[in-house]
Order: sequence, then C-alpha cells, then structure tokens
Amino acid sequence: MVAPPDNDVLWARGLHYAYSGSPALAGVSIGVREGEILAVTGPRGSGKSTLLKCLSGQLLPDPGEVWFNSAPVHTLSRAARERLRRERFGWIGSEPHLLPELTGWENAALPLLARGIGHRAAKRTAGEWLERLDVGDCARKRPKAMHQAQRQRIAIARALAGEPTVVFADEPTAPLHTTDRAQVLRTLTTAARSHQITVVLATLDDESATLADRTVTLTDGRRGGAIPAPESPGGEGRAACSVSA
Amino acid sequence: MLSLRLARGAHPLVLLRRLLVAAAAAGVGFLLLCTLGHAVAHPKEAEGSVVRLLWCVVPLAAVVQFAVAVARTDGTTRPREGMDAVGLGPVALSLLAAVSTALSCAVGSCAALFIYLELRGNLHLTSLGGSATKLLDGGRPLPWAAVLTLLSLLPVLAAAACAIMLRPGERSPEDPRADDTAPAVKAPEPKRTYSGLPWGVAVIATGLALESYASDGSAPPAEALLNLPGRVGGASPGLVGGWLLACFGLCLAGPGLTHWCGVLLSAGRPGPVRLLAGRILQDAAPRLGRPLGVLCAVASGTLAAVELYGAAWAPSGAGPFGPLTGLGAALVMACVTATALTAALDTRQSRTDTVATLLRLGIPTSLLRSAAAVRTCALVAVMAPLTWVVGELAVMPLTR
Repeated sequence: MVAPPDNDVLWARGLHYAYSGSPALAGVSIGVREGEILAVTGPRGSGKSTLLKCLSGQLLPDPGEVWFNSAPVHTLSRAARERLRRERFGWIGSEPHLLPELTGWENAALPLLARGIGHRAAKRTAGEWLERLDVGDCARKRPKAMHQAQRQRIAIARALAGEPTVVFADEPTAPLHTTDRAQVLRTLTTAARSHQITVVLATLDDESATLADRTVTLTDGRRGGAIPAPESPGGEGRAACSVSA
Repeated sequence: MLSLRLARGAHPLVLLRRLLVAAAAAGVGFLLLCTLGHAVAHPKEAEGSVVRLLWCVVPLAAVVQFAVAVARTDGTTRPREGMDAVGLGPVALSLLAAVSTALSCAVGSCAALFIYLELRGNLHLTSLGGSATKLLDGGRPLPWAAVLTLLSLLPVLAAAACAIMLRPGERSPEDPRADDTAPAVKAPEPKRTYSGLPWGVAVIATGLALESYASDGSAPPAEALLNLPGRVGGASPGLVGGWLLACFGLCLAGPGLTHWCGVLLSAGRPGPVRLLAGRILQDAAPRLGRPLGVLCAVASGTLAAVELYGAAWAPSGAGPFGPLTGLGAALVMACVTATALTAALDTRQSRTDTVATLLRLGIPTSLLRSAAAVRTCALVAVMAPLTWVVGELAVMPLTR
C-alpha cells in the first residue's frame, strides 16, 4: 500500500467492481482535493454511481483501495463504514429518498439525531438549512404534500445539515425541470463552498460540470481519455446520412 | 395458468402462506360439511343446525380475512413496472390475486371433502377410514348439490374479497414524480385513519351495556349460556349480540389505537429511536390496525370463554365444548394471529425503501431494530390491557 498524497481528502486507486458478474468499474483511480467540487461525468451506465458508492463506503471495491483523510476505508468493517457515512459523509441521490413517515424538518434532522445530537439543537440546525435552501415552509409538511423540487432540496438539506467533510451527489438534478435544476445545483455548490465542504458530483450534462472545479470523465467503467476517441471525424452516422440523402 | 406459473417461481415463504390458506380453507370446509351432515341426520333439529351454520360464519370470516392478507403480501400480484408495460396492470393483477386465492381455497375445500368422507367412512382408503362415523353422523347419504354449494362458498367469498380489497383505488400510484408537472396541484387530504376510534369505543360500550342489560342480573348455567354447536337452546340473543358487538368495537378501534400509540411514542422531544418508531407506527396504522383489532377481539373473546368455562375444561370437567367447537376456535385463533403477522410483514415490505434510505444515510441497523422493539412494546402495552379489560367486562354480568 502506498500512502496517498496529503492534499487529497479522498483518494482511490484501481477500483474494480462488478454487480454479480457484470462489470461496472474497471480500474478507476481518482483523488479528491479538500474543499473542491469534483464533477464525474459520463453517459448512463458508465459507472458514476458505482464509483460514488465505492468512495462513500456503500460498496466495497473488489479489488481496489479507498482512503479517506489518510485512513483506509476499504478495510473497515460494515459498522465502521456506516459510522463514517453517518458522521463524515453526506449523500444526495437522483431521487430524494425522503422517509414518507417523517415531516420535512425531521427528515433533514435525522442524521443529526442519529449522531446523538439533542432534539432541540437538531431541530434548530435543520430549520436553518431548510430556510437557507428556500424550503422553510415545508418544515412541517410530509414529503407526499411537497413538489419534487422541494423534496430534493430537503434531501440536500439533510446531506448538508451535518456539515460533513464530503458530500456525494449522484445526479442530484436528474428528476427536476431545467429551471429548478440550475437553481438546486447553484444552491448546493454555494452552500458547499461557503462551508468548505468537498463535493463529488456525478452528472450527465456538461452544464452542471461547469460549476465544478475539476471534471473527470468515465467511460464504460474507466477514466475517459485513456480510450482513444473514434477516428472518423464526422461520425459514422453522419456519413451514412449524407450518402442516403 | 399464469397464476400457477407465477406461483411456481415464488419464494418458499409465499408458497407456505398460500399453503396455510389452503389448510385454513380445509378447516372451514370440514366444519361446513359437519354442519351439513348434522342437518341431514337430524331433520327435526332444524334450529340446532341453523345455529351451527351461523357459528361457522366466524371461522369463515377469519379465513377470508387471512386469505386477503396473504394475497396482499404476495409479491407476484403486486403491480410491477414490467408487468404494467405488457398490459398486466394493477387491475389485471388484482384479478390474478383473486384467482390465486380462489385456487388455494378450492384446493383446501377439496382436501376437506376428502378428509370428511374418509373419516365418515365413505371411502375407506386409509386406516383412519370410518373412525369418526358416529361424530360425523355417517350412514346417511349427503346431498351433493348442498356439498358443492357449501364448499364453493369460501373460494367465491375469498376471491370476491380479494378483488374488492386489492382493486386499484382512487389513490394515485405512489409515484413522487406524478405531481411534478402541475405545480398548483394540491396534495389530497390524507384519509384520517383514527376516525374509527370514537366509533369503536362507542360500539364497545354499547355491546357491554346490552350484554349486562340482557343478562337479567343472574348468572345463567354454563351449558345454557351460549348456543354453541352441539348445545341446543338456552342462549339469549342479547348476551351473544352484546358480546359480538363489543368484539366488533375492538376491531373498529384498532387502527385508531395504533395511530395514537405512534403519536404518543413520538411525542415530546423524541430521539431517533422514538421518532422513527412512532412515525412508522402512525404510517402503518391503516394496514396494521384492523388485523390487530381483530386479534384483540378474538383474544378478549377467548379470555371471556376461559373465565366462564375454565373450570369445565379440567380433565374431570363436564367438557362443554365438542371437538368441532374446538376445531373452530383453534381455526379462528390461528387465522387471526396469522393475519396479524402477515399484516406486520406487509408493512415491513412496504418499508423497504425507507430502510434502504436509512442504511444509505449510515443509520445503524441496531437503531432500526431497537425502533422495531419499541414499536412492538408500545403496541403490546396498549393492546394487552385493553383486551383484558374488555374480556373481563364482558364476563362480569355473567359471573356476578
């Protein structure tokens, strides 16, 4: 094992992962610097979600290494990885995945409560984050009574309320309309920058990637650029079209 | 055919539940056939036969409830994206569930017919053949039209109940994206599950009052108290009606009680365990409350029966119940317990998304387990004393 560079808060080497035989990651190495916003782009099925899950300790790479703050993650037990996710990481998925049983502020405060923070303090912190994300009026509503954009903001508040070291955002704007999309993304990046939170952002569109400090492209489970681009300049389809026309 | 094909690939536990439904259906079919046998053998005791038939309604209802609960839990008949795309949407799948339920009940009914004829001594296929000729009034031919009618009763009722209970309702499918495009859409007011609680309490009180009013202030002899199968005459409809009314009130109050359990659990400034336990309980109240209420009602009825007839159950006692009453009571208790367990399993299945979310957040499984334990304890702490009180109050007018 080689110790990772000091300025990388999260560092992974040679990540491989296969879902019961079908490969998703094939040797991805990546380093995330402290406080930066790193965009991971690539088409569907290129392994973005799997990479984020491996980095956040939800999946164990086989083989591969993940280091967080110069400590290995891939050797930790399941309980220790859960604890790491609870205390140091935040997760925003492409679906809000709120608990339908809980109200808005309870959803946002749940990670805080699970950390053992008192009810009053957790409620105050969650309320502040909801206000910051413009969903203060949803604090007492159940997820069923909200719109999708509001739900997604509450999911973002839930991820940020604990002021984690790293936030993983897996296509956080996928279920939203264009107007909501830009706004939600801007809120996320602004909040992250103002609180020195590192963000790993998986995204499909290049527009979102422009908000990031750095972009990494994945193709078929590998870092993009390693595979040479197809040589035909105009693309095969275009050539065929012109012939038929 | 499709339901058979789906059943072939189902989880063993699902198959086991279907098998249990078949077994329960066999029990009810057997009781119905016994009633028929009694009616044929004793044409002069028409009243006794009618009372026997009426008592068969209780196990019948319990089995129908169980069958519906099992069909609801069955994953193969749950609306799925792929199935919807090929035209097997929620409507078709609810019909499929009804067919599967009818099938398992029909298998049970056939088994009941076989066992009944064998025990009665009509078949002589096994060594048991004819061992209960006397009890089952053997020796007289059975009217086959009546046999078929009685045996088809349960499959038809269960299938109809399934088709009605599982039909896709007015509720929109649980798709969070459904209201995306209409920003002005107002979320429908959720149906209040606890509205049954006042009604339940009122009905329990009415039942108990009716019972004490009808009891004439004197304790009737044990054998004249209830018109159980095998006992003729002597029952006061007021007594039995009051008792049944009290039980019905418990069933009505179930969802409301469960909901308020959850509210109390998450009251004050709850930590994560109490918060999750309480809120999940509130959410599960509509699904879990009714079977729990029925379970409490049956438990309180059993309690009352034990209080009244406990002495007679001793080996030297008079034995107030025949074996068929025992079979019926056991069937009802087993079905009601199984229904409550199945409903609990159903709510657990409907929470898979919640659990996945919690695990993604890094909430430890130990916290989820303690939340489940707290939920169970709260329910037991509320339901058990209530059951006991209703049972005791039901007995009180009779043992003064």
